[in-house]
Amino acid sequence: MAVSAAGRSTPWWVPWALVAPGVAWLGAFFVVPMVRLGTLSVQDGGLSNFVDVLADNSEVVLRTFWYAAAATLAALVLGYPLAYVIATRGGRAKGLLLGLVVLPFFTTYLLRAIAWRVLLGGNGPVVGFLQAIGLFGTDDGILATDIAVIGALTYNFLPFMVLPVYVSLEKVDRRLVEAGQDLYGGPLRTFRRVTLPLSMPGVFAGSLLTFIPAAGDFVNAEFLGSDNQRMIGSVIVANFAKEFLKPQMSALSFVLMALILAGVLVYARLLGTEDLA
Amino acid sequence: MHPLITRRRFLGGLAAGGAAAALAPTLLTACGDDSSGSSGGKKTVVFHNWPLYIEGDDPATSPTLTGFAKASGLAVDYTTAVEDNDSWFDKFSPDLAKGKGVGVDIVVLTTWMAARMVERKYVQAFDAATFPNKKNVLADLADSPWDKGRTSTIPWAQGQTGIAYWPDKAGFEIKSMADLLDPRLKGRVTLLSEMRDTVGLMMLLDGKKPEDAKVADALAAIEKIKAARDKGQFRKITGNSYTDDLGAQEAWASVAWSGDVAQLQAEKPGLKWVLPAEGAMSFTDWAMILIGAPNKAGAEKLLNYVYDPAVAAGLYESIAYRPPVQGAVEKMSAEAQKNPLINPGAGVKLHEFRVLTADEDKQLAEAFNAATQQ
Repeated sequence: MAVSAAGRSTPWWVPWALVAPGVAWLGAFFVVPMVRLGTLSVQDGGLSNFVDVLADNSEVVLRTFWYAAAATLAALVLGYPLAYVIATRGGRAKGLLLGLVVLPFFTTYLLRAIAWRVLLGGNGPVVGFLQAIGLFGTDDGILATDIAVIGALTYNFLPFMVLPVYVSLEKVDRRLVEAGQDLYGGPLRTFRRVTLPLSMPGVFAGSLLTFIPAAGDFVNAEFLGSDNQRMIGSVIVANFAKEFLKPQMSALSFVLMALILAGVLVYARLLGTEDLA
Repeated sequence: MHPLITRRRFLGGLAAGGAAAALAPTLLTACGDDSSGSSGGKKTVVFHNWPLYIEGDDPATSPTLTGFAKASGLAVDYTTAVEDNDSWFDKFSPDLAKGKGVGVDIVVLTTWMAARMVERKYVQAFDAATFPNKKNVLADLADSPWDKGRTSTIPWAQGQTGIAYWPDKAGFEIKSMADLLDPRLKGRVTLLSEMRDTVGLMMLLDGKKPEDAKVADALAAIEKIKAARDKGQFRKITGNSYTDDLGAQEAWASVAWSGDVAQLQAEKPGLKWVLPAEGAMSFTDWAMILIGAPNKAGAEKLLNYVYDPAVAAGLYESIAYRPPVQGAVEKMSAEAQKNPLINPGAGVKLHEFRVLTADEDKQLAEAFNAATQQ
């Protein structure tokens, strides 16, 4: 029987009762659909479906992970300094600044994608400006390019990078930074040897929170890309409802999940997550 | 000018459409009785249709639906629940396969899917006593190999699949599907992801008739599409959302559905619509009553009402599709009678893909998917 900090024992079933609703929820709405999807994925072709869909969609798979990785890196490059400034220089405005970071989330995801389409479209202000300064010809555009899709992914998932990094930086003990400076570390060296390592849990969490949804995204590729910017999600959403393609699309869904999981494990290994907790 | 309204353009007005779709189930066309069709009430007809297939796409104000409610005392629970054939079928077929109703009386689906519904016995035969106006169906639509004597399907609307393009952007006159493969349009062409429409048009370019389609001919057409796609000719091969790229002039030429183009032209008159010289495709969407329909008699009364030529004239003049009802065109305005989308005329060469067997369907669906979606 567990004993609480106050010295009173907690009945053995209390932790189970607390966990049960979440487990039941995940069981009903994650495990059961996954089992069904797994069953579907081996129908009409068996395990070879997995090899086949990976071979047939290799270009799309590579592109998907390239987009997700590029968006994650861009979000880190943009988000880290932003989180750093808010955490260290935000003062009383921290709440307001964090509010501004999440402000775009007050509009729906779809509308944000449509807004980007308007912004980057042939008749939009960005292309108009680039044409006006002579960088673009009359038929040049930004839509239907890798940059458009990666840019939109970065924009949409930037808050997922900023918030965990901010939390990590906020928790950094300022006395350690001061100690580094007392030991003749310059600002850059102190940042590299003290602040950055201590903020790595936030970087790790932010990277996962950005990379995973970016890899599964299809909306931005649909609205801002062309046939050459299709992502795995685009292929699945376009074909899953087709009766004859259900096994292949189920298999492709599993391939996507497996590849994301593998990527996360490799990343965790590289970053040494056991030290980040 | 009559209002030009299209179907299948749900992404074009996504925000407003989404809100409308969310609200639509709650909109009953009459206030007499609000009992739900799915709960066994006999005062409501539950109707699943494509977007923009009734006047104004608004069941609350549609003269057809409100007129029916007034004449019959029945309300219509009308929703634009059919975004595409596959997704509707995917959602409801598991219950239908078990012989269970899905709380829906009428659904409208395209020929190949309607044939599948008939073959799998997911639909019920019409009762002549409650649907006497069935005799008014156009002669060329009155029979088909997959539903002999039109016993359980009836056409709701018929449209054309052709080419829409921007002449000033393309820089030359487009007359044929061959022009869509012209390198001058590289990366600026969209095709439809509906296999029968796109492959059918390519088969016509090869001199083959889709109504007599041989699998080898269809595969040859798919191979031609793949070769052009590999060269980067196509911006997208997509469904309804092609109107976004075409409307924004990001795509300069598109394989397009007639009703969508009518809508776009109302806003952007520079867009040109052509039927390819080698022939164009047509599509027909069929109304059918599902097994387990909560109110079969009411559904038949509604179809009977629409098949009154005077009612059909108003409906099809508004939605700008060819009316499948004899005598309807004659009751339309002079302007509508001259509209080729409503009254294509005898000289237009329109083709419809033959109904494929399950094996053929699977083979071509997989080949088309591999060529266009991977």
